[in-house]
Amino acid sequence: MTEAVDLAVIGAGPAGLAAATTAAAHGLTVLLLDEQAAPGGQVWRQAERILGADPSGLGKIAASYGGAREAVAALRRSALDYRPGATVFDVSPELQVSWLQREAEGGGTRHAIHERAAKGLILATGAMERPLPFPGWTLPGVMGVGALQTALKVGGLRPDSDGLVLAGQGPLLLLYLAQIAALGGRPAAILDLAPPGRMGTALAGLPQALFGDPRTMIRGFGLLLRRALSGARIYRGVTRLSAGGEESLERLSFESGGRTHERACSLLGVHDGVIPSTQMSRLLGLDHRWHAERQCFEPLCDPDGRSSDARVWIAGDGAGVEGADLATLRGTLAALKAAEHLGRLSAAESEAAAAPLRARRARQQQARAFLDRLYAPVPLENHLTDDTPICRCEGVTAAAVRQAVEQGAGGPNRVKTFTRCGMGPCQGRFCGPSLVRLIAAQTGQPPDETGALRIRPPLKPILLGDYLEAEPEP
Amino acid sequence: MTSARSDMVVIGGGLIGLSCAHAAAQAGLTVTLLEAESCGRFASSASAGGVRSLNRHPAEIPLARAALDLWRRLPELIGDDGGFAPGGQIRVAEDEAGLAALERRQAMVRDLGYDHERLIGPAELKRRLPNLADHCKGALTVEDDGFADPLRCVHAFRRAAKAAGVALHEGCPVTAVERDGGGLRVVTAEGDVSAQFVVNAAGAWGNRLAAAVGEPAPLRPAALQMLVTERLPPFVEGVVGCEGHKLSLKQSQEGSVIIGGGYEGAVDLNQGRTRLSQTNVRENLATAVRLFPVLRNAALVRSWAGIEGMVDDGLPVLGASATTPGLVHAFGFSGHGFALAPLVGRLVADLCLRRPNNVALAPFAIERFAPPAGERTVNSGR
Repeated sequence: MTEAVDLAVIGAGPAGLAAATTAAAHGLTVLLLDEQAAPGGQVWRQAERILGADPSGLGKIAASYGGAREAVAALRRSALDYRPGATVFDVSPELQVSWLQREAEGGGTRHAIHERAAKGLILATGAMERPLPFPGWTLPGVMGVGALQTALKVGGLRPDSDGLVLAGQGPLLLLYLAQIAALGGRPAAILDLAPPGRMGTALAGLPQALFGDPRTMIRGFGLLLRRALSGARIYRGVTRLSAGGEESLERLSFESGGRTHERACSLLGVHDGVIPSTQMSRLLGLDHRWHAERQCFEPLCDPDGRSSDARVWIAGDGAGVEGADLATLRGTLAALKAAEHLGRLSAAESEAAAAPLRARRARQQQARAFLDRLYAPVPLENHLTDDTPICRCEGVTAAAVRQAVEQGAGGPNRVKTFTRCGMGPCQGRFCGPSLVRLIAAQTGQPPDETGALRIRPPLKPILLGDYLEAEPEP
Repeated sequence: MTSARSDMVVIGGGLIGLSCAHAAAQAGLTVTLLEAESCGRFASSASAGGVRSLNRHPAEIPLARAALDLWRRLPELIGDDGGFAPGGQIRVAEDEAGLAALERRQAMVRDLGYDHERLIGPAELKRRLPNLADHCKGALTVEDDGFADPLRCVHAFRRAAKAAGVALHEGCPVTAVERDGGGLRVVTAEGDVSAQFVVNAAGAWGNRLAAAVGEPAPLRPAALQMLVTERLPPFVEGVVGCEGHKLSLKQSQEGSVIIGGGYEGAVDLNQGRTRLSQTNVRENLATAVRLFPVLRNAALVRSWAGIEGMVDDGLPVLGASATTPGLVHAFGFSGHGFALAPLVGRLVADLCLRRPNNVALAPFAIERFAPPAGERTVNSGR
């Protein structure tokens, strides 16, 4: 059996890159596993291409890649064991990590299962878009803004301006608008799904936010200004959003300003903020708690990111969404504490390095509190109808969920056995967050008691043929 | 629930317990069912759902055949068909040795006077399972066997039990069972229930009560692994097993392929937690892909393991307690109780009400584990 690596880091976005390179710099043996073919995660996707001499002209969106150049360069300098194309599908309670490795071979790709034990683990698996169910959200042509952004970064996909509508709220939506604007594009319309009066409630926290993180705040106002100047028609306080079409998206209807609107649309980008991706922390059975303002579960961590399992840290947005800048810092913090835990740093040494980082984070978090309030999640009932599917994989509707709850299913796992909600290939990624909100609203029980879907391996679907290509680590 | 009274208390809300409660309530008894977690949480919801009389232990054959009749009549019994799909069970032989074993099995079953198991050759096997790998030599089949949907069955039996008047308490673990005059008293944190009959349907936890009344059974908990693929176009009918290998493979009505067969993971009985063995997952998948090469390109989407009670001799503990009048055991179904569940409720009700039936329960009696008489004399000789 292969010797255990000191530290396994899962995810090579800002947090994972910082964690892995910091840990390696302190003498730990580090295995960095990442699903993508190149480092950067979601926010710095294709960093080396976009920051390099890029013939596609995508370099124009490089403004949002601050810090990426240094982080990737540090990775390339480091001697750590970096495995791109690695889909982690299981982590055992003994911290045995199993992943599917994709490798180019000849003209094709070779797949094999690998396993490796680790003494410590840093999860840097980031965030996912909060699912926002509304009638027609499963039609082809309806996408998350995050997915549109990925298409932009990877394939240079600039959507046709006439057919594109963006619906939702939050920084990522504004960033995407700015990115396509830099490339000469704009949507035909923007549907602001935030209930009216949000800015008023959030305003009280503005001075603190400006003081805590002026850079982010100024960037944010710039993005808001750009939205106003984009020339797109903006509908405010939109409710009862509904998408229609035969084979794919053809039209939208919604209410705004007391009127029902209908318009043609071939591509709809939807966004309601991002939430931690908790599949892996749930699989490991770590403690989580419900964040009332963000309306999502977050793994319970100390200020350094250490989870309820002393061998496991969570760095970056996976432990609560705070953005890319802080993700780098949180990755560094977790690595320092892991180095201490594994005996490479004394408590005094790790504290000397960690204390200023924690202080900076606490300051910047004040801006996050403002954003949490400003972009509080869209209430599900604003758009949900009885026959809206909650679970895309199994086609389970809101009405079916409510009926199961009426019959005595008081939590997500009971609803799952009643309705098959969450049994499909996505393992509840797309329905779990809405499911908890729906059940809690109906039962009046706090989400912490309602609980979350149990997560089972494999975390991602694995072909049986690949499963049988097991290859022990050399 | 403080100080309640029923004719019968059922301990355990798995399919067996639900079936016992339902049958007793239908027979006119007042019934309370106490479930420590939620109904069907462990073995029942992790079941492969096989409705199989094929390749049963000889003692279980009459039960499995009698249960089949109930599976076909499930809609009239509980108002739902439980997803029962009578597509047959097929046990495939991959080589000559396997075929010889199946031939011996068929001869043995015939000698016992049964004719439900039938041997088929390669040509018929190919017609029956067009996607089966060419190397397979033949198979033993039972045409009227099949499978059902375990979750649907749990919910249907739970609904039917409630409709029949069963007082159902979930999240209510039993802490003790005591003698109470001529009857029994079941103790929980929420109060006691007195009853003439107590049914021990606590599955993997069944031995706690059995041991407490002085008749422990050689029972061990096991985490039986199940694997499920994404939805595929229909490619197999019925349930496929494999002589010489652990396998149970079927395609659900939704299209997903459910693969099990008795591979075990690790289990923590106190926490109620299980953990799959990746080595066993791989071995299980290897057999599945060897028999159906088309599965190589199917995606595994989920795996899980339920907690089941396995008895040393592979037979359930089913029948009256030898030490405690009024107590009836129905646990330790050893990974193949699902098919028997609709029948077990009736057998237990018959036993309590002293109604005649023609199923022999002697092979399942808990006395089979009692030390030999001589030893007992020595032990109690004082």
